[in-house]
Amino acid sequence: MTTTAPAPGTLEAPAAPASRPKRRRSPLPYILATPAIIALLAGMGYPLIWQVWNSFREYGLAQQFGQAPEFVGLDNYIELLTGSEFWGVLAKSVVFMAVTAGATMVLGIGLALLMKHIAGWARITLQVAMLLAWAMPIVAQMTVWNWLIDDRNGVLNYLLSLLPGVDMIGHDWLESPLSFFAVASVIITWASVPFVALSVYAGLTQVSDDVVEAAQLDGAGGFQMLRRITLPILRPILVILLLLQMIWDLRVYAQIELLQGFGAAGTQYDLLGTYIYGLGIGQGHFGVAAAAAMLVMLFTIALSWFYVRELLKEDAQ
Amino acid sequence: MTTTSLPARRKPRRSPMRHIGAGVALVLAVAWAFPVYWMVNSSFLSVTTITALTPTWVPFGGTLANYKNVLQGSTGFTDALLMSLGVTGVALVICIVFAFLGALAISRFRFRGRKALVLAIILVQMLPAEAMFIAQYQMISGLGLLNTLAGVSIIYVAMVVPFTMWMLRGFVAGVPADLEEAAMIDGCSRFGAFMRVTFPLLAPGLVASGVFAFLQVWNEFALASIILTSEQQETLPLWLRNFAQPSSLGMLEWGQVMAGSTLVAVPVIVFFLIVQQRMTQGLVGGAVKG
Amino acid sequence: MKKTMLGVTAFAAAGAIALAGCSSPGETEPTAAASESAATAGGAEDITLWLMGTDTPEALIDYLKTTYTEENGGALTVEQIGWGDAIASLTTALPDSANTPDVTEVGNTQSATFTTVGAFLDISDMYEELGGDSLLQGFVEAGSVGDTKYALPYYFGSRLTWFRKDLYEQGGVEVPTTLAEVTEVNASLKDQGIAGMYVPGQDWRDGISWIFANGGEIATFDGETWTSALATPESVEGMRQWQELFETASVAKVTDDDSTAYQAINDDFLQGTPAATTMAPNWAYWSLGDLAENDEGEQVATWNDKKFGAYVLPGVDGGTAPVFAGGSNIGISAATENVEGSKTLMRIIFSEEYQTMLAENGLGPANLDYADTYTEVAAMGDLALEAASSAKLTPAAPGWAAIEEAKLMEQYFAAVAQGGDIESLAVEYDAKLNDLING
Repeated sequence: MTTTAPAPGTLEAPAAPASRPKRRRSPLPYILATPAIIALLAGMGYPLIWQVWNSFREYGLAQQFGQAPEFVGLDNYIELLTGSEFWGVLAKSVVFMAVTAGATMVLGIGLALLMKHIAGWARITLQVAMLLAWAMPIVAQMTVWNWLIDDRNGVLNYLLSLLPGVDMIGHDWLESPLSFFAVASVIITWASVPFVALSVYAGLTQVSDDVVEAAQLDGAGGFQMLRRITLPILRPILVILLLLQMIWDLRVYAQIELLQGFGAAGTQYDLLGTYIYGLGIGQGHFGVAAAAAMLVMLFTIALSWFYVRELLKEDAQ
Repeated sequence: MTTTSLPARRKPRRSPMRHIGAGVALVLAVAWAFPVYWMVNSSFLSVTTITALTPTWVPFGGTLANYKNVLQGSTGFTDALLMSLGVTGVALVICIVFAFLGALAISRFRFRGRKALVLAIILVQMLPAEAMFIAQYQMISGLGLLNTLAGVSIIYVAMVVPFTMWMLRGFVAGVPADLEEAAMIDGCSRFGAFMRVTFPLLAPGLVASGVFAFLQVWNEFALASIILTSEQQETLPLWLRNFAQPSSLGMLEWGQVMAGSTLVAVPVIVFFLIVQQRMTQGLVGGAVKG
Repeated sequence: MKKTMLGVTAFAAAGAIALAGCSSPGETEPTAAASESAATAGGAEDITLWLMGTDTPEALIDYLKTTYTEENGGALTVEQIGWGDAIASLTTALPDSANTPDVTEVGNTQSATFTTVGAFLDISDMYEELGGDSLLQGFVEAGSVGDTKYALPYYFGSRLTWFRKDLYEQGGVEVPTTLAEVTEVNASLKDQGIAGMYVPGQDWRDGISWIFANGGEIATFDGETWTSALATPESVEGMRQWQELFETASVAKVTDDDSTAYQAINDDFLQGTPAATTMAPNWAYWSLGDLAENDEGEQVATWNDKKFGAYVLPGVDGGTAPVFAGGSNIGISAATENVEGSKTLMRIIFSEEYQTMLAENGLGPANLDYADTYTEVAAMGDLALEAASSAKLTPAAPGWAAIEEAKLMEQYFAAVAQGGDIESLAVEYDAKLNDLING
């Protein structure tokens, strides 16, 4: 991987330039957008209004059964923000998201680079393995992993116990919250890496060999190649992938809910998704749950502001 | 698994790095495939084999009894499969069509309200869904669509349209409008130019976006458990979740549960294998354009 | 719009509860609304019954369907809702007159939550007819608000202590007669490496007996508000004894719960040290015994009197320790449009014939007049009745379902099982319970 670097200016991104939207006074765009807007309003309109509305009302089980809900202003929000529970769950979720999304991105990029540099047969084997993992439905994923880590007959404890001096038979991986979240993080990373790896790899194939050879001739080193050529080309993909992983890992619900069903349960083992579900459906505090959902949305927007701003800027051109 | 890029013209190098790389790749492939393999392996084992102290690595002399029990018994697997296929099929087709049209609008045209629409489809995805279940139930019930395919589909379409539209927007923007214009100069109508030139270039993108919509719908179970309360209307994830509960004898029959899991995973794996080539192509052009 | 309509129905039916701040125009008398809808329906009504979990055997469900059709002419649909989905399903469907089950079972610990918000129809007028004071009173209270009856007992079960005669003999220990001996006996078995007791760390439903036996309570009611009582000296002493039991005698783990306690003393259930003692409802009888495959290749357990036995958990000074009564209530949804059909179904359920069928299947009949049948025909019926005589229920507090949903009791017991300091944990969980218990 010893190569030479070209002057960066001579490089041209191989991707086709995005077309400039046209300015037209035509009803066509409205017609095109109408079905999607109707679908959104049909499925989300009423629930969304209900949610915003009820985040300002005292809406509990009694209200669900007919008592008139009362407006309480910001009480629901204040209750959440002044208590310690919401902050605790939020902090846990953020750490969980950072670790999981970080691990997913690092592993995904690493695997993509690896795939670019190995023989075809090895690459295809790896790709097939990853497609299999990616294709596993979430409930099946969680069930299988629960079986792998089963305390009595799980293969993980069996393998670990083969190590000299280690006896893990009967060890329950879902017992302590830390271990519980570690397991959840590993499973989610396992399931998300294929998407990242295959996308990044697809992006890497866009880096044309001519460019690479030119760079090699100019004497660019492996690291320099990565930094000067590969990363700039990959940047848009990486930004989006990172954003998606962040959003998905922050509001993860299904995996945590299922894992709680298999082992330990309770607020100690909650992340934002299960916490909001528990507040609402579980305990009947729908108003507070709605407020919590609104706060999470605001938080997510703040977190992904870098992207939203970029998008709007690009749009304003 | 091939890509659209130029064939590799790498100079043949006898680098040991490549062998090490291939070795690492194989180890990783095993790591990623192992849970899937273990699921299939366990699904062929009898109760006594599966609970033995030493794991059975390869199901030699395995049994099909687990599959028989799942498929023949009154477990409801077939009903759930049909329900899942129905819901996913309907929601997916509607979602792709609507999202595609919407993506054309926001990437090919500039119109009043466009920015609001773009923002809306992004923000909607950041909203946790778990607090809206009650309202969604009320709405579906008000429409008289509880326990129906139409009822879940309405919500599922709304759930996946934003992301699909967002993703497709990148693909559409990636196909230069100049190409279409060139075709129009050659005498095609705008629609004809679109169908002949742009649409084929978008196919991989549609597939890649479709895969995501498919996965989201196929996997959903929280809302389904509220809207589909009748046992006859379960979707597969709901079915598997209930099936993986311990029996009245307490022990989870892992062999049967793994047979059930395998059956739930098979349709998706088949689907992936069918679309994988286009999907990989799609990934190339897709998210890239943000 | 839909919601206001539902609101009105639920409000009207809630009747006795004063609901401040509701200015709905549809304040009709519940009886008027009820008889009106019955009159318009007139005769055959198709109704739906929700049963929780799979405790009600198939034969009984069939009996209900046939009898209902005979008496009413309409059809009865029975749907089984998993316990895990119970709260979500009841919360969404019960207020919704278009989709509510007409009659539904509800766990006795969840009854109070739903009765206080007016989810059930007032059936005080049927109370005498359905059994009156012969009905298990603890459960009746759980389904009442003041003197108004909303949900009545469906069945009960009491917890027994199941043991392995062969293992007790092998270890040279006798059936314990005091609570302290339960710990001694099992600790001795564990020390000898023979067996231990299955004490799941999250299993507060069985562990709570140690609090009750020492005179403690989960919470107390002063006529207006509920106050958690975990930190009282009695409750703390109970937990101390339970912690000792867990640490010296348990072969279960901190994260285990009561879902597998049913079969813990079957052969080969645990790897390593087996369990010689476990606590489970009396219908665990059907899951305990020698394991063999039946013709269909399923594992079934056959009770073996030589190997298996049961006793009632002894109290601190002998006698009987109060156990937590399991079971459920049943009531008519306030939003039902088929009041007459629902009442017919209730009459069938509380008839001698159906109550006897429950008893025969090991489910304690709600009407204690039929308890004789229960002691005769039900497995361990005599022991179960003895245990039931001193059984207790969870607080009939509006917020109890929320506490169960948040799994606070599980967490408290697991924290104690992990060896935590009981006094400070009790104070901590008292505060958590108090946050939710009054709804």
